[in-house]
Amino acid sequence: MTSRPIISEFVLEPGTGKAIELLKGQILRIEQVEGGQCADFNCFNLHDYKEFMHCGRTRTVHGFHPTTGTFMWSAPPRERAMLYILEDTVGRNDVLFPRCSAYVYEAAYGFAVHTNCHDIQAEAQREYGLTPDDVHDSFNLFMCTGVDEDGHAFMTRQTTKKGDYVDLLALMDVLAVPNVCGADVMKTSNFALKPLKLTVFTATDADLASVPRTPTLASQRTPKDFKNPAIKSDRPLQRDPAYRPEFPNTPIVVTELPIALTPDELAMFKAVKRTDIYGDDDAAALRDLLFSWWEERFLQAHAGAPSIETK
Amino acid sequence: MTDTIVKLQLNQQQLELMDRTIAQGIAADRTALVRLALREYAAAHKVDAATGAAR
Repeated sequence: MTSRPIISEFVLEPGTGKAIELLKGQILRIEQVEGGQCADFNCFNLHDYKEFMHCGRTRTVHGFHPTTGTFMWSAPPRERAMLYILEDTVGRNDVLFPRCSAYVYEAAYGFAVHTNCHDIQAEAQREYGLTPDDVHDSFNLFMCTGVDEDGHAFMTRQTTKKGDYVDLLALMDVLAVPNVCGADVMKTSNFALKPLKLTVFTATDADLASVPRTPTLASQRTPKDFKNPAIKSDRPLQRDPAYRPEFPNTPIVVTELPIALTPDELAMFKAVKRTDIYGDDDAAALRDLLFSWWEERFLQAHAGAPSIETK
Repeated sequence: MTDTIVKLQLNQQQLELMDRTIAQGIAADRTALVRLALREYAAAHKVDAATGAAR
């Protein structure tokens, strides 16, 4: 879109990554220079690195291949939309696979040293004081993956071409860290390492208006809500002798609720109760029925909490 | 024929969800809510149960 002012441009060379301060309302375009290149991606709240993008929630609400119109979410207990996928010319991204690592290339291929996404991410993040332990689960752009009949994730070649891109709109100030995936001996990037182009734009009013509203809930907690808001600064774990558990809603107390089923109701129940799971435990089967019904009638998202406001 | 008593075991969180649902006017009380769930669930899943389809 030519009407977006360009803030910066950068070519990410093979074997490298770049940490980019992407402010709320800015767009990061990650673009194929030659085609066929996977980009691994990390993302942190620029003002609190302990809030970071969470592939778990992202794949739960948007599936294994998030694309245009979906969000990248931060991990619990924050669970905020960090980035919005504004445009994706390919529509094949991955949140199943972990980043590749030095271990993979040593164990499987015998390399003493090899480009790998973990180490590339760590080196890029080091510019902002982060450590190799801070690299998180990767959102893998342009990576073509699936799940086979046995439940194993697989990767295969991608069909991206020169000029294909993904536009990520920042919904908060973030440190966005894309890297050229280091896998040249796997199908991930079609057995070659190629550059990627990065462009940062200012979003237009139309871009901003296209973003669905996301829920704002009390459960989206920040350090001001934590019992322990301080970041631990040493490595050993030691028990706090003053610790007293304060688990919410405990103790769990069970109450008995007798339900008198008429013969007709009993017949209905017998027709649908899950004897395959509960056997002759009718109380458990009826409880299952009650909450299964509730989910079907009232739950607004098919998996996990809603990703956009529905009211 | 006599009624059959099924003794549901529900914790406070499950009861809270039931009570909030009742407060929306879905049913008069907890027992009525369970009966409503049974009728609607059975109507929706009779075919599933007969064919063994996933529920």
